Amino acid sequence: MFSGYKNTILEFERVGFSYNRDKPFIKDMSFSLGNGEFVGLLGANGSGKSTILKLASGILKTSDGNINIWGKHIQSYKNKDRAKLLSYLPQILDMQIPFTVKELVSMGMYPYDILPKLTVDEAIEMVGLTDNAESLITNLSAGERRRVYIAMTMVQGAGLVLLDEPLANLDIKYQIELLRLLKKLKEKRDIAVVMALHDINIALQFEKIMLIKEGEILCFGNPETVLTKDLLKKAFDVDVEIIRPSKSRNVGERQDYGEVYIKY
Amino acid sequence: MKLKLLIMVLIAFAIFTVALFIGPRVINPFSINEIEKEILISIRLPRIIVSVLMGMALGASGAVLQGILRNPLADPYILGISSGAALTAVVGIISGLAFWGTFTIPVLAFIGALITGVFVGAMGWKRGGFWPERLLLAGVGLGFLFSAVLMLIMSISSDQGLRRAILWIFGDLSLADWSVIPYGFVFITAGFVISLSRANALNALILGDELTHSLGFSPRKERFILFVSVGLMTAASVSLGGMIGFIGLLIPHIGRFIIGPDSKILIPVSALGGGILLCIADLIGKSLLSPMELPAGIITAIIGAPYFLYLLRRKDVLRI
Repeated sequence: MFSGYKNTILEFERVGFSYNRDKPFIKDMSFSLGNGEFVGLLGANGSGKSTILKLASGILKTSDGNINIWGKHIQSYKNKDRAKLLSYLPQILDMQIPFTVKELVSMGMYPYDILPKLTVDEAIEMVGLTDNAESLITNLSAGERRRVYIAMTMVQGAGLVLLDEPLANLDIKYQIELLRLLKKLKEKRDIAVVMALHDINIALQFEKIMLIKEGEILCFGNPETVLTKDLLKKAFDVDVEIIRPSKSRNVGERQDYGEVYIKY
Repeated sequence: MKLKLLIMVLIAFAIFTVALFIGPRVINPFSINEIEKEILISIRLPRIIVSVLMGMALGASGAVLQGILRNPLADPYILGISSGAALTAVVGIISGLAFWGTFTIPVLAFIGALITGVFVGAMGWKRGGFWPERLLLAGVGLGFLFSAVLMLIMSISSDQGLRRAILWIFGDLSLADWSVIPYGFVFITAGFVISLSRANALNALILGDELTHSLGFSPRKERFILFVSVGLMTAASVSLGGMIGFIGLLIPHIGRFIIGPDSKILIPVSALGGGILLCIADLIGKSLLSPMELPAGIITAIIGAPYFLYLLRRKDVLRI
């Protein structure tokens, strides 16, 4: 359905941002992403991962430079038009509101005046919650609740999904489930996913990793390039040991876990 | 869902009809004489309409406010709007102002409510938008200040007008007449329609400002529009018949218990529930110790508080 050609869908052009005027937080940042990319943002606490996602989603406005989505300045879009292109899930989601799965997923239709391409039932099926469609989200497990919000973004039809630490506080089982789901959705619908992370081993699951330190990109590339002892030392100020798979195996062919890992 | 709504509407009509024919004097609908006709048209019907309008405004406002403030304890009075209305109205009652005939007190209350609403809004505004916590604290602070001034005025005033003022504060529907209904109707309907048209945005606001943005709304703009709708409904309600407590807090929780938290349904259901509760409370208030009347606000609290406490024990109910 989709060709391998990647259009630029998100572009940071010399972006600067500060929470208070005296101290720049994001400094002269430039990068671009194409459709269908699966990118992990990795960095220590306070390095600027969440801020980058909030800037990319238009929640925060840049102090300097431009952010373009699909070739147009992000702030030039009407709210509803922007919402059809990108969706953002914050780290902290209210999981205690007694909406049903269906009600919450239906909210993905809000930017549309006509029915979106993907129906609510289809989205619920994609995240494997058909049997729980009428359940209250308060009755679901932590991993299932995250999947409900992911289904909402699917209905929203966004080609770019920005997720702020979606794996935080999830058991390893749910982390794996959610990553597999996102990879599946990426393959099926050619969406680009950008996800803030804190676990270096999880970062190995991504096609591309952006390593951030103090509001600047230390390195942006495939895991082999980024996850080096020196760069990780710079980013996290810790010594780690990188255990590589046998030379005969290609990192790109890696399935899920266990073949490359980082020993602390 | 549709069945539940239909049952609620039928209950509402049954109660409104009963309230029309039952009261200090029971009227047989099948044999009505001239005096009874006059009682029905000039006294009972306007009173029922006022109580329903007020109840609707308070119920809907409570549902909206609990959403935009993300606080299950919010009600229309927490923003201090009613205290502002009470202050101007009681000053008018005690000083015997009557520059606009029967309109004087409603107009004074409406002006007091609007000025307070604007003031609370200004206090809650920072960096281009409303901040829920600031709004809430500004409302609570201003409410305390106005209540203190109100008590001061009442404690130094003579007995004349004092009873009327006290009745008004607890919700006095005995002076309801046709003249004020069109004005109340216009403001309450406007507020209701505005809030219902923003129901999707309200659902999104319940999930948080960042998700609201992600779903294609401006959280600041939506919160402002919804605040204005609540201000209009509350000001109109208070000016029609004084302060009726508990409806704005209780009814949205009952609504969520019955039909869930979706604002598209919760706002109309809360309006309907508010209308039903106030109509029942007023019917009890005017019939129980007839010919003496008890303020409807006291009855709503006496009926509402035990049910509210019962709901407290139910899991997942007292949440926005």
